[in-house]
Amino acid sequence: MLSRVAESLFWMSRYFERAENTARFLDVNFNLLLDLNKITHVDNPNYWIALILVTSDKERFNSLYESYSAESVTDYLVFNKSNPNSIISSISLARENARSIIESISSEMWEQVNNLYHSLQSVTPQVVHNDPYMFYKEIKNASHLFQGITDNTFSHNEGWDFIQIAKYLERTDNIARLIDVKYHMLLSEAHHQAEIVAGSEDIIQWMAVLKSCSALEAFRKVYLSKIDPDNILRFLILDRSFPRSINFSVCAAEDALWRISGSSRHRYVNNADRLIGKLEAELSYTTVEDIHDKGLHDYLEDLEQRLIKVGAQVHLTYFAYHTPEIESDSSDEALPFTGVAGGRPNWSQAQQQQQQQ
Amino acid sequence: MSSFFDCYEADTARFFDEVIAHDGTPRPHYDKMLQRFDQFSNDDIKARREVINIFFRNQGITFTVYGEEQGVERLFPFDLIPRVVPAHEWQTIEKGLTQRITALNEFLKDIYHSQKILKDKVIPAELILGSQHFRREFVGINPPLGIYIHVTGSDIIRDHNGKYLVLEDNLRTPSGVSYMLQNRQAMKRAFPVLFDKYKIRPIENYPQELLRTLQEIGQSARREPNVVVLTPGIYNSAYFEHSFLARQMGVELTEGKDLVVNNNKVYTRTTRGLEQVDVIYRRIDDAYLDPLVFRPDSKLGVAGLVNAYRKGNVTLANAIGTGVADDKVIYSFVPKIINYYLGEDPILENVPTWLASNPDDLKYILANLDSLVVKAANESGGYGMLIGPESTLEQQEQFAEMLVANPRNYIAQPTISLSRHPSFFHDTELWGCHIDLRPYVLYGNNITIVPGGLTRVALKRGSLVVNSSQGGGSKDTWVVDE
Repeated sequence: MLSRVAESLFWMSRYFERAENTARFLDVNFNLLLDLNKITHVDNPNYWIALILVTSDKERFNSLYESYSAESVTDYLVFNKSNPNSIISSISLARENARSIIESISSEMWEQVNNLYHSLQSVTPQVVHNDPYMFYKEIKNASHLFQGITDNTFSHNEGWDFIQIAKYLERTDNIARLIDVKYHMLLSEAHHQAEIVAGSEDIIQWMAVLKSCSALEAFRKVYLSKIDPDNILRFLILDRSFPRSINFSVCAAEDALWRISGSSRHRYVNNADRLIGKLEAELSYTTVEDIHDKGLHDYLEDLEQRLIKVGAQVHLTYFAYHTPEIESDSSDEALPFTGVAGGRPNWSQAQQQQQQQ
Repeated sequence: MSSFFDCYEADTARFFDEVIAHDGTPRPHYDKMLQRFDQFSNDDIKARREVINIFFRNQGITFTVYGEEQGVERLFPFDLIPRVVPAHEWQTIEKGLTQRITALNEFLKDIYHSQKILKDKVIPAELILGSQHFRREFVGINPPLGIYIHVTGSDIIRDHNGKYLVLEDNLRTPSGVSYMLQNRQAMKRAFPVLFDKYKIRPIENYPQELLRTLQEIGQSARREPNVVVLTPGIYNSAYFEHSFLARQMGVELTEGKDLVVNNNKVYTRTTRGLEQVDVIYRRIDDAYLDPLVFRPDSKLGVAGLVNAYRKGNVTLANAIGTGVADDKVIYSFVPKIINYYLGEDPILENVPTWLASNPDDLKYILANLDSLVVKAANESGGYGMLIGPESTLEQQEQFAEMLVANPRNYIAQPTISLSRHPSFFHDTELWGCHIDLRPYVLYGNNITIVPGGLTRVALKRGSLVVNSSQGGGSKDTWVVDE
């Protein structure tokens, strides 16, 4: 498979997953604020700033908007084209990558990403404002449909594995950030303000985090109705069977990487395999107490950094345009992570005017 | 006459109309189509238009308009009424093109070897050797099977008597064949009953024929030649076509950065290392192919590709330097070229052409600027031309200066009123639009032409320019057995 094709499959998948997760972030925040409407109002900036903080995107946001409100944060995360991680940008980039490999993917996959792209063009902020639940649900469903179409119309070989790696690396990163939202909320004044109903607010926030991972029901089946923060961390970080837990996602990414390279346990052939294997092994033997020892926020941040390194190694191993015979002047040059925009890896898109010759 | 076409004014006094004969009656090969369209209401047409728009959008068939910010994607304008070419007319086109392409290939072989035609003074040597598309580096190089022009698309028009004439030859990288194929798909989806009424020759085998041609010119050392398509990339206006053809042929679509030359062999970079390439169907101009030989600022090409080609380790389709033969000045010599190499008269004639480089012709051109069409020899896409009857005095003076300053660069032709075909305007009104025809010619072990081609339509009232970059559209083209 051409390196470029593998790379485009990777980013197509990654941006689609990112759009879905952004929709989840936003959806859950709306729900949370509705649940809490006794003690706060929908525009409480402390709840919206958290969404910007977890995407490490405070500076760009501040250069574009004056305050943190439902309206400004929604606009930034859904519509803003100068934010490469907004839903509109993510879907555009997913489509752009799909378009460049249109001959390699199934036409059903192309139609799905193309249709979503075109239908998003006509969505206005008013539409989202009127029925946020419906809008975010459509994005999530579109993503699920895309994954289903991919699984059922695209051969499960190397290309499919690159799609899986991208999807699960992105998902892991997003779950980590989502749990971190809770951390930022605790730091913010929202907490103090709500101490009157202490306890119940905490639980509601944690439930919101679970819901945003579609994990509330699955969680209850394991822990019954004991919504206890430690159990939630156990579930979202360490559970091995729930598809939106960190451990599950890391295992899935590891499987896909090993299928491509032929690595196996105790025997890796490249650094991407080594790093993901190490992460997976650690997760297998981590307890929630270990996480608290390190501090939840620090633990999550460390995890995000390690995921970025795995992504960089995948790039170097499979996508980088250099060969042993012809060494480019600087091997850094080929890295796609030009700006780790918003703390998240992004596709480097070199627009070539010459292509229009 | 059909009531559907009642409101249509063919204006047969001034133009050759493809559907309505001089006496105002429909031509027989359009009878069944008129009958069928007669059964449609405006709503039926609207519904079918919707089907077709969705089809094109889902396929991602858009082209990019340059100059506007961010390159806006547009649907390629498509006209619902198909063009019908009767089999006996097609036979003339097919024979004529086969003859023409055979002769042009002989011409290229000669120009890049012994240059007999120049020594015999059939064509002034300075016209060839001074052409910017003549690549002296390739004199003496032998492409496989002696073929230079594997994929070509000559533009054919009909004059006011309905005679088929060749307007220009595209011997470099003619585009549009994907539209020909997709137009047929779209029509099948929207008008299935109409298809039943005609014996339409199929064109769907074009991708297989193209692949066969490309494999035939692959080096024989390896059993199965590895063929790739080389595209400038996703931002090129013909990108859809490049990916479409790669997908239809089942070969890799590559960009310059996917290829690497090592030890004069060309490889693709894959996730599992390097794989050798034997044939490149390149959709990149000569000038961008190899930064070491041509434009050093090219980011689209592959360093070392030309040397690999010269060593015979890879075959390029089309060969390098074929542009020398589709120059508009050389065009005027094609009848002589056919006669010189084949000893035959041309089956398809040229449009009469005056060369500004010829002093007598130049005098004539300057005196008749208001009635002639003046074209720059090396421009395409409808740019750099003066349409006499539609021009202002100022434009004429401007061209007169350019003609005198650089006569080698210009030709002039009479303003030909291209034949017209009824076309839909906003799906409510029928209007006679000027059309041309671009059949696609494949040249491997022998010459293959799929029956049909791309009929381009000037979808602006009265406009003679059919290029998509200038508001042109297209329609399905049916070669039918009577």
